[in-house]
Amino acid sequence: MTDLSVSVSSNAHLASQQPLPEAPAKVTVRNLNFYYGEHQALKNINMTLGTNRVTAFIGPSGCGKSTLLRIFNRMYDLYPGQRVTGQLMLDQTNILDPKLDLNLLRARVGMVFQKPTPFPMTIYENIAFGIRLYEKISKSEMDDRVEKALRGGALWNEVKDKLNASGLSLSGGQQQRLCIARTVAVRPEVILFDEPCSALDPISTAKVEELIQELSENYTIAIVTHNMQQAARVSDKTAFMYLGELIEFDDTSKIFTSPSDRRTQDYITGRFG
Amino acid sequence: MAVESNAIDAAGPYDRAKALSAFKLGDVTFYWITRLSAISVLLILGGIILSLIVGAFPAMKEYGFAFLWTQRWAPSADPPVLGALGPMYGTLVTSFIAMLIAIPVGLGIAIFLTELCPQWLRRPIGMAVELLAGIPSIIYGMWGFFVLGPFLANTFQPFMIKIFDGVPVLGAVFAGPPSYLSLFNAALILAIMVLPFITSISVDVFKTVPPVLKEAAYGVGCTTWEVVRSVVIPYTRVGIIGGVMLALGRALGETMAVTFIIGNSFRISSSIFAPGTTISAAIASEFAESDGLHQSGLILLGLLLFVLTFFVLAAARLMLLRLEKKAGR
Repeated sequence: MTDLSVSVSSNAHLASQQPLPEAPAKVTVRNLNFYYGEHQALKNINMTLGTNRVTAFIGPSGCGKSTLLRIFNRMYDLYPGQRVTGQLMLDQTNILDPKLDLNLLRARVGMVFQKPTPFPMTIYENIAFGIRLYEKISKSEMDDRVEKALRGGALWNEVKDKLNASGLSLSGGQQQRLCIARTVAVRPEVILFDEPCSALDPISTAKVEELIQELSENYTIAIVTHNMQQAARVSDKTAFMYLGELIEFDDTSKIFTSPSDRRTQDYITGRFG
Repeated sequence: MAVESNAIDAAGPYDRAKALSAFKLGDVTFYWITRLSAISVLLILGGIILSLIVGAFPAMKEYGFAFLWTQRWAPSADPPVLGALGPMYGTLVTSFIAMLIAIPVGLGIAIFLTELCPQWLRRPIGMAVELLAGIPSIIYGMWGFFVLGPFLANTFQPFMIKIFDGVPVLGAVFAGPPSYLSLFNAALILAIMVLPFITSISVDVFKTVPPVLKEAAYGVGCTTWEVVRSVVIPYTRVGIIGGVMLALGRALGETMAVTFIIGNSFRISSSIFAPGTTISAAIASEFAESDGLHQSGLILLGLLLFVLTFFVLAAARLMLLRLEKKAGR
């Protein structure tokens, strides 16, 4: 039972083994079901994302963790034939309300993708673009906001001399941090990370993980990852999903040291998945 | 079982070597066939240019560069007076107006088809666009002659004149007596003819935009229009310009439909509702009855069209290179 391959000692509160104090709920999921056409991809999900907490979603491929993430900002809406039932609240806002303004929702719930997705424009414009969608501000204010966002993305020192270079000219890791900076620039409340490091080398991964930790002071974060060490390192809470069901949802320290479900234990010890 | 596999082993190396040598001959033949095919393109192109130059030589010698800025076209005068200004003007103006109409409409259709169109409507519209490309140009010509021409002359032009009468430049552009045959009629038909090029190429390149890039743009809260303007079009810029250039090439050279409806007048008029001519229309309508210097003049017109098209395409290439450099700066 204690012979687990995953080290969880890097987070101070994990080592302490004390249960985390409950954070006020930011996102509340109640009886959520999701369908791709006829296929049911999520079955009766119930959970709560705490304010300014990092919640990791782990589980084998196809278990529905990315699907769940894409419901939080209604990304599934882009595709016909995908539908959802149940209840999903962001504070007091019903995310699933068909009349909800999606653009405003996505300003509140930002997303970082598996592959870096810089827009085909300069580094400066990549950041300014999102800000301009919501605010009319002067050039000097915009310069400040861009700098702040790039600092927030831990990228400022690397790009401050080439803000007019194409966003595509950066390395993969830099591009990903640019995307994070872009997301932060819009001042969201929740940031969704969909396997943000799966296309990155170890050093870039470490930088992004560090960034996620810093961001968790101000933002509610949900991260999907296939890398269990990563989940253990960056998250406060971990949700284990399997075949569209939420099997176990608890403090990360508990999940990785004494999971209560057999399947969770099998997965984190590498017996399947 | 064992015996069988032994036999294969024994035969193996020998057969393989023989097979390889047979392939080698095939490879050499294949290489030469493809190489000759490629070379034949150069030969054909060179031959066409050469024969155009030879055919146009008497006219070149007679008129020199004045050919380019002479508006008068009087082949039956003695000696014939020939100038290319009218047809060149007509070619450029009709193509320009055609692109002015076809680019926004073509891109609009492509954006609607890839980003907004409900699934069930996608196929009918896509098929209609492709059928548009399959209509023979003579049909467009007849339609322009019998349907579009009367409509433009009786309804559209009086309307435009009423609106723009007295406005400095635009008043002159739309003025003049109504005519079924006009530059604008030809330009409109050209726009319809090149529309499928722009649309189908744009649809193809729009489909190459990675879904995750679009999702990222939607993810920061863009509307569909903002996604298209700031992500889809910049990402596919090179492909779109390629499609537009293909369409422009077609518009510059289109003959049959234009000959039908442009009116074959060599006089340059300030009004786009006046008859005019294009290089290809002039050649098509006069070549059969021409001889001597007149025929040589027509061939020179053909050479001009060749050069004109070449320069337009070269300019487009240059623009593309600059854009790429700017994007990757």
